[in-house]
Amino acid sequence: MRLETFSYLPELSAEQIADQVRSIVARRLVVGIEFSHAPDPYNHYWTLWKLPLFDIDDPAAVLAELEACRQANRDAYIKVNGYDPVRQGQVVSFVASRPDRGA
Amino acid sequence: MFVAGVQEYRETYWVPDYQPRDTDILAVFRLTPQPEVAPQEAAAAVAAESSTGTWTEVWTDRLTTLSRYQARAYDLEAVPGRDGQYLAYVAYPLDLFEEGSVTSMMASITGNVFGFKAIRALRLEDLRIPVAYVKTFPGPPNGIQLERDKLNKYGRPLVGATLKPKLGLSAKNYGRACFELLSGGLDFTKDDENITSQPFMRWGDRFSFVMEAVRRAEQETGERKGHYLNVTAPDCEQMLQRAEFARDLGSPIIMHDYLVGGLAAHTTLSNWCRRNGMLLHVHRALHAVFDRQKDHGIHFRVLAKWLRLAGGDHLHTGTVVGKLEGDRDATAGVISLLRDDFVPADRGRGIYFDQEWASMPAVFPVASGGIHVWHIPALVELFGDDSVLQFGGGSAGHPDGSRAGATANRVAVEACVQARNEGRDLRAEGNEVLKRAAGHSPELGAALETWREIRFDFEAVDTPDRVVAS
Repeated sequence: MRLETFSYLPELSAEQIADQVRSIVARRLVVGIEFSHAPDPYNHYWTLWKLPLFDIDDPAAVLAELEACRQANRDAYIKVNGYDPVRQGQVVSFVASRPDRGA
Repeated sequence: MFVAGVQEYRETYWVPDYQPRDTDILAVFRLTPQPEVAPQEAAAAVAAESSTGTWTEVWTDRLTTLSRYQARAYDLEAVPGRDGQYLAYVAYPLDLFEEGSVTSMMASITGNVFGFKAIRALRLEDLRIPVAYVKTFPGPPNGIQLERDKLNKYGRPLVGATLKPKLGLSAKNYGRACFELLSGGLDFTKDDENITSQPFMRWGDRFSFVMEAVRRAEQETGERKGHYLNVTAPDCEQMLQRAEFARDLGSPIIMHDYLVGGLAAHTTLSNWCRRNGMLLHVHRALHAVFDRQKDHGIHFRVLAKWLRLAGGDHLHTGTVVGKLEGDRDATAGVISLLRDDFVPADRGRGIYFDQEWASMPAVFPVASGGIHVWHIPALVELFGDDSVLQFGGGSAGHPDGSRAGATANRVAVEACVQARNEGRDLRAEGNEVLKRAAGHSPELGAALETWREIRFDFEAVDTPDRVVAS
């Protein structure tokens, strides 16, 4: 199971995830976290982890939410998304966490 | 009273003090008059013959108000460094054109002036389509954002490949080649323009085997996949029949050659795609016949604008890299015209007029042809995320085959996107990024060894006057 952007790279380290989150925040995109226990290429709607994190300046807040989502859903895939309210569409999405035991 | 006889065109059609209206269609032509013809007369002839004029006075002119319908040549600029060549600006009133009709624009503006005897050569460089006219066209059936949402692919260029060899594979083997590329990591595979329905592989058989490959690759990777099924056909009935079969098999995307098929057929297909939720990949066979010659023909930026109006979700634009320097800025201009909502005039990119698209959906530019892993940093830098990068030979030519070649390209694209987002400069560090990524991808490592390292010097091409003289 690959699951789109960055899935052909080695699993991102915490620091690498932080770098990507920084770039999303720097672009003034709205960050959102979603998770799924059974990803499917035809499923557009994963479960929202809380509401999107509007008006975040500090990437650390996103990383904290990501970790909280991971603790609550250790067997889930978790995506970090970036939504552009000007373009009115999602422009960034990557799987930042996979289930503890393999894909 | 009607006075018969011949007047010079410039008496009516050369109007240097004319202020173009917001609703006018504006054209700029690269004009080379015959040596004995004054440039004002040649420009006026273009305006006349592409609107209301003919060679002699006719009594029926008196039954209408010509000033309401006539085009006007309103400006002339000598082209620096090209003796006897001018940029001629012509304004056309909106009423000369049928709503929502690219064919109407093509027939009027390029109808007979390109063969006019008083003119040695003529090239349509750019067109300003006013918002009032843009709004009569539905444009791309889906657009970039809707395609991303449908396919769930974000934050990176899409990657594809044209099937090779382009001719002579059986339907089953063709499907195998698709399966290897898609499961190796590409988003799309593509029929070459030569593939329609030949004796070695009939279209229905190809569609069936290819769609099995698409479905199996989706199951294996957990990602959406597609193959541009070419529905370019001998007639419109068969074009639509093929499109319907692609839809019934569950294909997300089909392909059409818009210049070869013609703009009317293409618009019909684009409308069909909109009704059926189908993505439309557009190939541009024949374009070089129109756009290659500097002095005569139609620049591709005009053909690209016509395509965005008629509708298409992907359009081939050239690769920029690996071509002549002169193509780089002009291609960047075409990419803007396909993707942006407002494109300001920028002579350095060959764009003569501001162009407003008034929220018309955007078209993915497709870079295809002769590109491989070493080009990827420059391609990511130049095209950005909203593009499709296609590696045909650059995938199937991998020493370990198509699947490994596809993986190499996907790894390289993702590594470059990751590095760019981290704030790294792909121009300076691109090759290092690739080499480091090869440390975790033997497929990329082998590809880097197969093809030759490339270096780019972006600064050297920054010469804004060049396009005017080219």
